[in-house]
Amino acid sequence: MTMLRIGARNLWRGKLRLLLVAALIGAPFFLLLVMQSIGDAVQRQTESLKQNVNNTLQLRARGSMGHVNMVGNQAILPQDALAKVKGVPHVARVEPYLLAMTPTEGHNFAMVIGVDPKDTRRLESHGEAGSPKILFGRDLAEGDLGKPVAIVGQGVAKWAGIEPQDLGSARLTLDLKRTHPVIFALDRPPLTLTVVGVYASGYVFGDMQVFMPIDTFRQAYGVADGISWLFVRADSADHLPAVERQLRAMLGSVADIISPTTVAEFQSTATAAVQRLANGGIALSAALMVVVVFFVMLLVVRERAREIGTLKAIGASDAGIVAAFLTEAVLLCAIGALAGASLFALWGGPLAQLVFGLGVSPFLPAHYSTLANSLALSPQFGAATLAVLVGAGVFAALGGSAWGVRQIVRLSPMEAIRHE
Amino acid sequence: MNEVRSAGGGALIALRDVGKAYRRGEQVVHALDGIDLALPERGMVAIVGPSGSGKSSLLHLIGAMDRPTSGTVAVAGQVLGTLPESALTAFRRDTVGFVFQSFNLIPNLNALENVMLPMEFAGVAADERKRRATRLLAQVELSARATHRPRELSGGEQQRVAIARALANDPRLVLADEPTGNLDSKTGRLIYALLKKIAEERAVVVVTHAQSLAALADRVLHIADGRLQDEAA
Repeated sequence: MTMLRIGARNLWRGKLRLLLVAALIGAPFFLLLVMQSIGDAVQRQTESLKQNVNNTLQLRARGSMGHVNMVGNQAILPQDALAKVKGVPHVARVEPYLLAMTPTEGHNFAMVIGVDPKDTRRLESHGEAGSPKILFGRDLAEGDLGKPVAIVGQGVAKWAGIEPQDLGSARLTLDLKRTHPVIFALDRPPLTLTVVGVYASGYVFGDMQVFMPIDTFRQAYGVADGISWLFVRADSADHLPAVERQLRAMLGSVADIISPTTVAEFQSTATAAVQRLANGGIALSAALMVVVVFFVMLLVVRERAREIGTLKAIGASDAGIVAAFLTEAVLLCAIGALAGASLFALWGGPLAQLVFGLGVSPFLPAHYSTLANSLALSPQFGAATLAVLVGAGVFAALGGSAWGVRQIVRLSPMEAIRHE
Repeated sequence: MNEVRSAGGGALIALRDVGKAYRRGEQVVHALDGIDLALPERGMVAIVGPSGSGKSSLLHLIGAMDRPTSGTVAVAGQVLGTLPESALTAFRRDTVGFVFQSFNLIPNLNALENVMLPMEFAGVAADERKRRATRLLAQVELSARATHRPRELSGGEQQRVAIARALANDPRLVLADEPTGNLDSKTGRLIYALLKKIAEERAVVVVTHAQSLAALADRVLHIADGRLQDEAA
C-alpha cells in the first residue's frame, strides 16, 4: 500500500510534467476517439442509407409499360397485387402509381401520373430520382385527394404558358382524345386541372410530367381498379433480394419485377469501401495510441532511473518499486484518457466533420446526395467504447512502464543510479 | 553460511580478499583488488584517495549497493554475496544508511516525508514514523524546513535531510560517499561534525577527497589503484 500511495503521489511531482504527459497520452486518445466516432457515424449513415436509398423494386404488368393509353402497353397490374405485396415480410412501403401519356407538340409528349399525395413522386421509370423540387407554389397534399389539382414540371408549365403568379388559378386541360404515334385516344371528357405547383427535376424528360392525386386520375381516365406501377420498398437493402424472390414467386406470372442494380453496387462498393476506410483509420489510430502511450510511459520510467536506484538504496523492494510505477502509469493514462475525452467533447465534432465531413456521400451516385447530406455526421461515443479505449491505453501504459522499470529495477542500486 | 561471527574478530565490517572488476567494452577495469579490511562497531573511518582509485566502489560493496567480483564482504554478521535480493533489500533498509554526494532526495516529497520514507519501507507505524522523523530533523537542525521540498532547500540543508534519512531506521552503519563534494567548505565542515557526532553511537564510513576533513576521522584508509595503502591513524 505504501508504494501504491507513493506511485499515486508521484502524479503531482510537477504540474508541467503532468500536463505534458497528459497531453502526450491525451492526443492519441483524442485522435482515436475522432476516428472511432467517424467510423461509428459512417456505420450509422450506411445503415440509414441501406434503409432509405433505393431499396425499391418496381412492379408492372408483364410485358407492358403500364401506361393506360400507350399503344401496346396499356396492360396494368391487377388491383389485388397491392394487398399481396403488402403481406410480404420486410416490405416497408408500397406505392401504387397510375400512368398515362398526353401529346404536347410535334412528336413530344408528357407523362401523366396519378399518385397518393403522401407517396414519392418519382421522376424516372426506376424511381431513382426521388421527389421533384418545387420551384413555385406548393406540392400535393393529402387534402388534394379527389380534387382536380396537379403539380407540373417546368417543361409542362412552359408549354402550357403557366407563370408562377398564376399558380392556384392556372388551368391545365388534358385532351384524352388526342392521339400520338404511341398514344391512343380514350373516349373520355377532357380533364381540367388546377396547377398548384411547378417543380424542377434537373433533366428534360423529368420536367415533362404532371402529377395528380391517384383517385383524380382514376376518375379522369376511367380506371376503376388496377395499378400501372407498384413501387415496393424493402426495410433494408440487405432484405431486398429476399423480398424480390417472394414477389417473383407470388406475382411472377403477371408482373415484371425490376430490381435496381444500384443497390447491389452500393452494397458492394460504396459501403464496403467506406467501412474499410473508417476501420483502417480506427486501427491506425489505435496502433498510434498504443505505441505513443507505451513509449511515453517507458520514457517516464527511464528518466527516473536515479530515483529507482535511490529507492533501492534506502530499502524499497523491487516489487514495491514496480507497484509504485505501475500505479503511476495507470493513473497517468487515466488522466491522459480523460484529457483526450475532454478535448474530444470540445473539438471532436468539428474535427471529425473536417476530416470526414461528407460521410459516405462522396461514394454515392449523385442523385443520392440530398439524402446523404441530410444524414449529418454526429460524432459520439458510448461508455463502453470509452472503457475499451481506456482499457487498451492502460494496458499499453502498464506494458511500457513495466518494461522500463523492470530493466532498471533488476540492476544494483548504484548501477540504477548511474543508468542515466 | 551467511553468518560470519568470527570475521575480523567481532568487527562490524569484514572484507576478505575482495575484488571488483568492471567491463568497459573489451577492457576489464579492476576497481578493487585484494582488499582485506575489518572495521569496528563505532567510530568514523575516512577512505581517501585520488579519483578512480576505487574508494567509492569499496563503499558500495560494504553497503550492498553493488556485488563484489571476488572475495567476501561481511557486514553485521551477514555475508552479502550469498544473500538473495530480498535479503539485500532488508539489509539496505535496516542495517545501512547511505548518504550520497548528490543528496538523492526524492524530489516530490518534502524533507519530513523523505526522512519517513525508509521507515515506511520498514513497516513502521505512521505516528511513530512522524515522531522519529521530526526528532531526526531536529537533530540536524532542520525542524523549520520539514515541509520544504528538496528544490526549496540549500545544498547543505539537503545533505542534512539526507543524513537524517540515513538514520531513519537506526542503522548500525552509515556510509557517506563524498558527502561534502557538492558543498562549500564551511558547510562541509558542519556536515563532517554531524557525521562525527553520529559516529559516537555507530560506525560511519566516509569517502572523501579532502585530507583536511579526513583528519577529523578516527581512522583514515588510503586507497590507490584499487588497493589499500598504509593506514594513517
